[in-house]
Amino acid sequence: METEVRVSGVGMTPFEGDSQRPLADLAAAAAEKTLADAGVDPADVDALHFGNALAEALDESAGLANALAAALGLDGASADRVENTSATGASAFHRGVDRVESGTADIALVVGAEKMSAGDTRSVTEAISRLVHPREYAQGVTLPSFGGLAAGAYLDRHDAPREALAAVAAKNHRNAVHNPVAQFRKPIDVEDALDSPVVAAPLRLYDCCPMSDGAAAVVLTRATDEDDAGHPAGPRVAGTASATGTHAVAERPDPLSIDSVRTAGERVFDRAGIAPDDVDVACIHDAFTVLELIELEELGFYDPGNAWVATLDGDTALDGDLPVNPGGGLKARGHPLGATGLSQIVELVWQLRGDLPESRRVDGAETAFAINVAGFGNNSVCTVLRA
Amino acid sequence: MTGSNSGVPENGAAADRDLPADRAFACADCGRRWYYDRRRCPDCDRSAADAASVRLETGAVVATTTVETTPPDVRAPNHLALVRFDEVRLIAQAAAADLSPGDRVRFDGSHRLRDGPDRTDPRLVAAEES
Ligand SMILES: [Zn+2]
Repeated sequence: METEVRVSGVGMTPFEGDSQRPLADLAAAAAEKTLADAGVDPADVDALHFGNALAEALDESAGLANALAAALGLDGASADRVENTSATGASAFHRGVDRVESGTADIALVVGAEKMSAGDTRSVTEAISRLVHPREYAQGVTLPSFGGLAAGAYLDRHDAPREALAAVAAKNHRNAVHNPVAQFRKPIDVEDALDSPVVAAPLRLYDCCPMSDGAAAVVLTRATDEDDAGHPAGPRVAGTASATGTHAVAERPDPLSIDSVRTAGERVFDRAGIAPDDVDVACIHDAFTVLELIELEELGFYDPGNAWVATLDGDTALDGDLPVNPGGGLKARGHPLGATGLSQIVELVWQLRGDLPESRRVDGAETAFAINVAGFGNNSVCTVLRA
Repeated sequence: MTGSNSGVPENGAAADRDLPADRAFACADCGRRWYYDRRRCPDCDRSAADAASVRLETGAVVATTTVETTPPDVRAPNHLALVRFDEVRLIAQAAAADLSPGDRVRFDGSHRLRDGPDRTDPRLVAAEES
């Protein structure tokens, strides 16, 4: 059952490794672009949901949502902050959808922002290393460690070459070359990825997403075919669903299964009334290259062991059967935790509206899918949009 | 309710979040073992507050990695293995990079992973088959 909610405006700042602007400025800039894109007066916004993951770890001030509401002139709007580690952006988006769908807000503004360069590398790395279970932390286990274990298991079980992972990185970098908001716009080839330094074997530097600064936002409204000015009201939110899964990664029955991904995917396809085959373009949470492959399989886009073959065959390239991460993904667009899930929605709305240059457009896309994942899959947040 | 005002009983192994790496929890009723703390036994629902701590003997490697880019204070390289000890599954440090999926392993020795804290843990080594 599709919702009656439409994404009426989108906007984002460029994602960067070291932005000169403070967090509040990044958030406000994305919000203002989005309100302008939607043609919405700030005073008409009923609800603001602000996604940010690391404020406490980076000593940012509390009450971020309230400060943003004041800065934007959202007169009397309700406001709160959403935190769900690396899936913060998508969770904030879902809260906004729920508000508009339930009728407790007519217009919701959802903003996600992160400034990971605000802390020194040591404190950010330490904060991220504490996202795992305390007994995992005690062993020095990190998110890239899970990526290394899963990547080794994937290559081993499916008898896949190391190039299978590198091809994901090369494809996502290629997609970012023409995306002006992407952090890395430099093409890399499979050999570059294979030559980069080892992070957690067999994963190398170019298999891992960067740390990023940036913000992304959307305006959500109730569905009407046109607004008062006769503009189309924007893509419809066909379904949202999320699910938690095993927190301690080792306890998963299979290192290549992420039950939160599978469950959230089944739920969102059910709610949207579609099957994976109906999806024209997808944003997949590629914090590590191997995650793009595992998620594509867990979600039912490919049978187990087939996503790497599809990637090498070009199926997931911009001109393939299922373009994946047309904006560059976390790998090349960047991964500012609180903004990432919203940047996926922004990218998909641009694709569905068709307002992108030919160099990076998925022609005729009508159904779009996004998955934003917390940790190494302890929570997955899925969205389906229809043009 | 026994124990502290946090609601977490202070008796039993469950109160010890700093168990050495070679220790699992074991249910006081059915003996089911688990590694990552939980409130209740997954099989019989007995409170984990009454669980004992038991030493893990021999397990089988499922996957391995060697982490070169380690978090602050963690010594590099950090060899890690995902290992199954029957129903218990865990990720722990290995003494060397020579383990492969399917290998039998046990915990051995005493190793300090992080500079600073004086915590030490046994690490995984290949087990001699008897
Ligand atoms: Zn029991």
